[in-house]
Amino acid sequence: MRRLWIGMFVWVFLVSLGMGEDDSRGSLVRVRASIQAYDQFRPWQKKSPFGLNGTGVVLPGGKVLATAALVANRTEVGLEKPGSAEKCAAEVEAIDYEANLALLQPTDRNFLKGFSGVLLGPALRAGDKTEVWQLERNGEMLRNQAEILSAGVGRYPSDEAGFLVYGVRVSLPKRDDSYTLPLMKDGQLAGMMMGYDRDSQEGTAIPVPMIEHFLKDAADGKYEGFPTLGVSWSPLRDPNLREEVLAPKAGGGLLLTRVNPRGTAGKAGLREGDVLLSVDGYKLDEDGNYRDPLYGPTAVGNLIRTKPTVGSPARFRISRNGKEIELNGSYDRKARDEVAIPTLQFDTAPKYLVVGGMVFQELTGTYLQEWGDKWSERAPQRLVELFTFQQEKRPNPERKVVFLSQVLPSPITLGYLQLSGLVLEKLNGREIVSLSELAKAVDGVKSGDLVFEFRDEPGKLILQAQDLPSVSEKIGKDYGLPALRRL
Amino acid sequence: MVNGVLRVWVLLLIPLLGSCGKGDWQLSEARKNVVMIEVTAQTWDYRLPWNPGTVSSSRGAGFVIDGNRILTNAHVVSGARYLTVQREADPRKYPAKVLHVAHDCDLALVQVEDSEFLKGTSVLPIGEIPELESVVSVYGFPIGGDRLSVTRGVVSRIDYNSYTHSGRESHLAIQIDAAINPGNSGGPVMQADRVVGVAFQGFRGDVAQNVGYMIPTPVIRRFLKDVEDGHYDHYVDIAIRWMPLENPAMRQYYHRPNDGLGVVVTDIFSEGSADGVLQKGDVLLSIDGHSIESDGSVRLDGQPVQLEEIVERKFAGDTVDLDVWRNQALEKRKITLRPAEMFSMYENLYEEPPRYVLYGGLVFQPLTANLMAVLAGGADLRLRQKYTLFGQDQIYRETPEPVILSSVLPDRSNVYLVGLAGQVVREINGRRIRTLADVLPALGSGGDRTVIRFEGDQRPAVLKKVEVDQVMPRIMTQYGISEAHRTDLGGRRLAKGSWKKEGEGK
Repeated sequence: MRRLWIGMFVWVFLVSLGMGEDDSRGSLVRVRASIQAYDQFRPWQKKSPFGLNGTGVVLPGGKVLATAALVANRTEVGLEKPGSAEKCAAEVEAIDYEANLALLQPTDRNFLKGFSGVLLGPALRAGDKTEVWQLERNGEMLRNQAEILSAGVGRYPSDEAGFLVYGVRVSLPKRDDSYTLPLMKDGQLAGMMMGYDRDSQEGTAIPVPMIEHFLKDAADGKYEGFPTLGVSWSPLRDPNLREEVLAPKAGGGLLLTRVNPRGTAGKAGLREGDVLLSVDGYKLDEDGNYRDPLYGPTAVGNLIRTKPTVGSPARFRISRNGKEIELNGSYDRKARDEVAIPTLQFDTAPKYLVVGGMVFQELTGTYLQEWGDKWSERAPQRLVELFTFQQEKRPNPERKVVFLSQVLPSPITLGYLQLSGLVLEKLNGREIVSLSELAKAVDGVKSGDLVFEFRDEPGKLILQAQDLPSVSEKIGKDYGLPALRRL
Repeated sequence: MVNGVLRVWVLLLIPLLGSCGKGDWQLSEARKNVVMIEVTAQTWDYRLPWNPGTVSSSRGAGFVIDGNRILTNAHVVSGARYLTVQREADPRKYPAKVLHVAHDCDLALVQVEDSEFLKGTSVLPIGEIPELESVVSVYGFPIGGDRLSVTRGVVSRIDYNSYTHSGRESHLAIQIDAAINPGNSGGPVMQADRVVGVAFQGFRGDVAQNVGYMIPTPVIRRFLKDVEDGHYDHYVDIAIRWMPLENPAMRQYYHRPNDGLGVVVTDIFSEGSADGVLQKGDVLLSIDGHSIESDGSVRLDGQPVQLEEIVERKFAGDTVDLDVWRNQALEKRKITLRPAEMFSMYENLYEEPPRYVLYGGLVFQPLTANLMAVLAGGADLRLRQKYTLFGQDQIYRETPEPVILSSVLPDRSNVYLVGLAGQVVREINGRRIRTLADVLPALGSGGDRTVIRFEGDQRPAVLKKVEVDQVMPRIMTQYGISEAHRTDLGGRRLAKGSWKKEGEGK
């Protein structure tokens, strides 16, 4: 073990020496984030805090690029210069959890004065040699030889559809500040490492076209995000299926199996059952790939999400019942943003309402994820169903899912204690489609019954409105709740 | 939930035959009448439903009762192809046959034809529910040796519990702290020369210690009475869900005084016994004259038991009388009991062969507990939800028996369809698929192509009929399948469903 470390040191030393005059100074900065997420099961409080240390890339102009995962659910973000312990707080200027990128601005604008910053480099291809840079404790740069194994559309940690991603082979020694690391090519930024597996010595990196898209979007101070089409599709290679859907004999195209009417595709007029032949002039093959000038055959996801921006025009060529049609629209994110149950929420305090011990929440993907890796088996099945199949079960984004998440024992919740995961439908006969509406409805009843009607068994639960003020106050005190609601 | 079933383990030890003489010692009544049952059983393979399945041997216990019959557990003899019975006092192994098997209460009757076997036996009388804390003895042939073993313990608890052999049922069960191990299954639990139960399940050692369960005599008596007419019917079910009426505001809402009585009906299952008789929001005050406490218990023979126990002891066609509080008035209601066939999907199947339809390498199977068990973690979310919500959402009203494309046997004709395995079939050639029986006629309908559509946003599977006819012999040869389909339900009944009311024919 000891020998190995010595060997490593010598190698590092040689590498650093071999580079001669170091062009890396003024390019990287340590990012220290203190993280504290909300406790979805006790929505009035936060979980234990912890720290994450990563390496940010200084951009010309003094802003710092990092991954979004590094600063998700932050309470504070600080920057630290590599060679000294000089520190400065930073604000998050733009953040995109889907693309896993964040742009940080030091609160002291002069903090990074003297840092030249790193320029964005060219997009890379499989086989290209690159480096992953790490900071040594003393501020020296450790440059690890790396190779691009693949460039294609893959999964990002907080995204369901996929973006362009580099597969990287690199052997990274264990160092502090490695939660985020830059992928460099000839002194320029080629990507941001976002995942690494020590056993296989392979990792993933966010490529420069994604970073370019993100920075361009953030430049005007109003961050909009990556567009989405709002469709489900299937490859169309099966000759029998092609015949059935009257796909062009010449080949190509994919089959749309669901179209969200609110999304880019839906508003442009695309429908379920259409064969999508080309997007913005790029022909799609039977597997859903287009021919990228740089990467070769690449999944359509890159074409519709990375290339265009929100608001830019979209051009589709489809075949419907054997007839080819051109359809035009404009790219947006509505299929992703306008939904009844948001997928993942960071930095957002969960909403809740305590009514005499009954705790109501609004369903989010983040709540379900709190049930752990096997959330889809462990979480209440009705909630899983509504979330997973929400395009069928809850297509109207205005109709949020309000549910009873737990019952805190109180004199008036006797007999209700074991209940949880129940979707609320009505209060006193009035349909409830958001937590704030429930709060208003509850506040409006001063005496008499509060009849809560749920989607599932036991159906109805009753409280007496006149009991609420005193009981709620007592519950707040007994359980130490800072507030009885957050709407 | 009981996690570990006391399955009878495969024991390959050969009994030491030469060592015992013939019935000339002084034996207790119990020891005279307890038998070792050795079973060679076949278990169907739901992955390959056309195969006859795997053969395994196991050992359990049983005991002689009246009518030249041996009582044991259903799980000891389920799927039996050959079984022998042996008494301690007689080294001979007598071939036997299964008379009746009741998987829902894990009991079975076995008979030996050779009259020689009965010599030296008597009949073990069946007693009552033993007192809590009283001592009982468990007889059987558990692992650790070949000869009869006796363990002793006290009655720890008398309560409703799930019967894991069926996977769906809960009945009265008695917990005892005597060691019960694989091989004890089916053996009698005795108290003062009377049978007070049949040992049947327990926890694995890593879950709990000294927790064994026996089937109490009310369940045994019910089983024996049921088979008097020559065949076993299923348990009946009141098919409602109820909630304790403990909350003061709730009691006030339903206009009930604070007398600690009554439960509120929260769901009535369509096609169940109470369908059309009870309503959501009814408060049940008594059942067959027994007052219902607000936690849902009634007093029976001095013991508090769940109100379902009243129903449990009855048979199909019997009635229960209920005092129902509805719209602030007391009403008398009578419910005629019947089995809850709509939930039979959750029942583990043992005897009947798996049903399937093979079509050009596509294997269609009805959704059953057995199929879910082999799909296990691999089942996709839509399929799992179909299964878990089937009863709760009364999916059976529309689809009494969801049909799954359970696998695609790879063949050059279906290379593009392999990824569709595990999908829930919605329609074939435009016809809605509600049970497996719908599949064959639907496949035969339509034009040159067969179009199979699934639930959710999955692509359809399209096959050319001519091609399917061509490849079927090849696929059947390659995969060793002798029958292209097996769709006969046997004696099992499914929910009727209620879609016809909406004007659509089956």
